Amino acid sequence: MFPFLWMISNSLMTLGETQVRRLLPESPQFYNYIEAWEEAQFSRYFLNSCIIVGITIAGLLVVSILSAYAFGRIKFRGRNVVFTLLLITLMIPESVTLIPNYLMVAGRIFPLPAIGTDAGIFSWSYDNSWIDTYAALTIPFMGSAFSIFLLRQFFVGIPNELWDAARIDGAGHFRFLIQIVLPISRAPIMTVTLLTFIASWNSFLWPLIVTNSDRLRPITVGLYNFSDEAGTRTQLLMAGALITIAPILVLYFLTQKTFTEGIATTGLKG
Amino acid sequence: MTVTEQHAATSASSSAHSRRWLSFLKHQRTTENITGWLFVAPSVILIFIFGIFPIGYAAYMSIHTWRIRQGAILCDSEPVDFIALVRSCLSNYESAVLGDWGGAALFALGLVGLFVAYIVWTRLFSKRHENVYAVLRIVAGLLVMAVGITLISEGYNTMTGALRPRDQAFLKGLQITIYYAFGSIPLQLALGLVLAYVLYHRVKAKAFFRTIFFLPYVTPTVAAAVVFGTVFSGRDTSPMNQLVQLFGGDVQRWLAEPRPFLNVAFGWNLEGFIAGPSMALVVVIILGIWTYTGYNAVIFMAGLGNIPGDLYEAARVDGATDWNIFRHITLPLLSPVTFYLSVLGFIGTFTAFNTLFVMRTPTNAGTLDTSALVIFDTFRAQNRWAEATAQAIVLMLLVLAMTQIQRSLLEKRVFYG
Repeated sequence: MFPFLWMISNSLMTLGETQVRRLLPESPQFYNYIEAWEEAQFSRYFLNSCIIVGITIAGLLVVSILSAYAFGRIKFRGRNVVFTLLLITLMIPESVTLIPNYLMVAGRIFPLPAIGTDAGIFSWSYDNSWIDTYAALTIPFMGSAFSIFLLRQFFVGIPNELWDAARIDGAGHFRFLIQIVLPISRAPIMTVTLLTFIASWNSFLWPLIVTNSDRLRPITVGLYNFSDEAGTRTQLLMAGALITIAPILVLYFLTQKTFTEGIATTGLKG
Repeated sequence: MTVTEQHAATSASSSAHSRRWLSFLKHQRTTENITGWLFVAPSVILIFIFGIFPIGYAAYMSIHTWRIRQGAILCDSEPVDFIALVRSCLSNYESAVLGDWGGAALFALGLVGLFVAYIVWTRLFSKRHENVYAVLRIVAGLLVMAVGITLISEGYNTMTGALRPRDQAFLKGLQITIYYAFGSIPLQLALGLVLAYVLYHRVKAKAFFRTIFFLPYVTPTVAAAVVFGTVFSGRDTSPMNQLVQLFGGDVQRWLAEPRPFLNVAFGWNLEGFIAGPSMALVVVIILGIWTYTGYNAVIFMAGLGNIPGDLYEAARVDGATDWNIFRHITLPLLSPVTFYLSVLGFIGTFTAFNTLFVMRTPTNAGTLDTSALVIFDTFRAQNRWAEATAQAIVLMLLVLAMTQIQRSLLEKRVFYG
């Protein structure tokens, strides 16, 4: 707990106060936040992070819910083989896939649609590169074996009577999923959303590699750059760190009950 | 074929009704197949493209020369024999990772030796009554272990000796990774277990602490590293130095200290692997422990909740002490959780990047460069892409092998209720 309190208290100090031995500021300097925000150009980084996280979560939820439902409740040929294959990716370190993925989003392995440029998604060509686009920052993270696994565990447990009843009423899988399954699956979907939010807000290495300029880089990169610039001005650096953490903290405290229970129960099954 | 289908099939010839039923069932199954595949298609395609295909492509890259642009394949076009062919294909692995195949073989043999020693040892504990054999086994186990360790260090020296200085970084990085893993995981687990055990019976405190415990886990690692970097900075006004001075110690350089921790703390001058992690790495280990102890504690608490209460009551009736209960009931029943957390920990430490990347500075002189960072450097700073993928593949094989070894070693000891 100490690092948190120290960070908060220091982010409110004057420069002089951080250098003498003090635990608490004389009077809180809220202006530090504004100064850090402006000096580190957090407006842009913060917005970028929000966009990246937003797109990733939206895409991931649609894709994962659909397939988790199918893996859990539709018996189709090859289901188990494919599912096992997906789970294997959980054990693969990022450093192995990093370089091939970089080549791929640079359009050097196969032609890419021109997402994020003027040519649109119907122009497939080796010339289209996703470097410095939101597509490169979000699309690779939309397919997540972990999220699928987590949701599937819940969907499997939904009583068959519900499905039978829906089928008698003439509903297909898609309507059943939208009208019955989704409303009762709030908690696991919330957990997946939160975990994705955290992972996506935390991303650092991949954005660093697939962007050439600071234009699209997220707040973690912003803070990393700022840690050089701020130098000995501890109060500004701590204010910057707090700004980076703040959205997660707010979200975490708002949803912490769902969240902690979600992890405590699903973590065990993982 | 299900029972209904068989039934439908046998009576199909007799009535038109059954025939319709059969075709309905077939139609039904095709629809299920199609809907199923349509539903999973987006994520299967995504995961295949960005998760599975790259593994194969990395292997493909690793047998080529590849510096930003793809170069020639390394495999010998006119091989003397099969072994020469394989060796020529794997020459990136030889030049950038392992150095010398003989050394690598010695190293692997040493690991096998340690494994054998372990087996001899556990056998020993299972048959306590044969005293003479027990002593023999101890001696044999120790001997095999000594031989194993010699082979490992001999192999390691041969391997590094055969490598150019810039290529030694990966093996050195592995050594640092091992410090990092073994420095943080056992402590994380132990502290997490103690916290969980102490808090488990205090219901009100439990909910509160559960919230607190997760905070470090959800904190963005880059931000945590920045804060820790300031707390453990080498300036004499940094919080840690103030704390040390409060207890009458000297100002330390912490994160800016590349000397081994054992040297700084006790003045020991050890060489090679036993020199231990640098002071800077110890700070990173502390950050690791800070991040995961709370998480482990929460998972342990969930595990404790799964242990049936009557077991405790029965033990109490039999007059067991608190320690006995902990040792013989709680610990064995928690072993699946411990196993799961330790596997997670190993994967986490072997692939950790963000914190180390943020905390490394020229002042800690490469003592934070774990394998994951070395791979990044080979890729980004030196543009040697083929060598970087070769290193990454070796790292992946190590992680997979370790989870497998952990599984097989602990499987017998893990008690699944």
